[in-house]
Amino acid sequence: MEVTINQNENKFDVVLVGRLDTTNADQFQKDIEPLMQGEKPEITLDCSAMEYTSSQGLRMFLMLQKSVNSRGGSMVMTGMSPQVKEVFDITGFSNIIRII
Amino acid sequence: MKAEFDPIAGKSAVIIETIMSSPDIPSDPGLEFKIRLCVEEVVENIVSYAYENGAGFVEVGTELQDNTLIISFRDSGVKFNPLLKGDPDITLSAEERQIGGLGIFLCKQMMDDLRYVYNDGCNNLYMMKRIS
Repeated sequence: MEVTINQNENKFDVVLVGRLDTTNADQFQKDIEPLMQGEKPEITLDCSAMEYTSSQGLRMFLMLQKSVNSRGGSMVMTGMSPQVKEVFDITGFSNIIRII
Repeated sequence: MKAEFDPIAGKSAVIIETIMSSPDIPSDPGLEFKIRLCVEEVVENIVSYAYENGAGFVEVGTELQDNTLIISFRDSGVKFNPLLKGDPDITLSAEERQIGGLGIFLCKQMMDDLRYVYNDGCNNLYMMKRIS
């Protein structure tokens, strides 16, 4: 999973490319550290090139959403493929993470 | 297809790819995605938890019976029936949700049937998916 973060003050435009699974979840956690800091972050995750996420990936997104909520921020995931969206729907993550 | 890996420590990726490259796995991308997800969840569980330090074997297999794909996993590690694990409450808020417990739940939702049998000192897990 390639993670590109463009930060402008509290706004983060993030592009996710590739697969997120157990082999790279630890690295992903390190890559998103900038998103885990600061007050009222406004985060957009562009998922149009995210091919796959396993339950390990879901854990990461839940952790990030919890962190964002606790800091009074907002987060949205965009451009998700139907297959990835289904994983979020089945697990109820579509209800706790904003997906457009 | 049948394959055995021993020991399994650090071999998740090769085990997953061995299963997914079986001719029994359908080429339809939507189905392939779901099957890969479930295979990965099960393989990761076995590699991480069945044995101390992954020092043991797993035998994996795929077969087609009529229009049903059956993927099997056998290990002689800690006796563990993943189907007895309670489902996560998917109606909870982000704050209330626990991080984890999603893997086997995804398998239950995405496969048509899961079966677990313990015999001869081995965990046997079977995942069934109808292929039309």
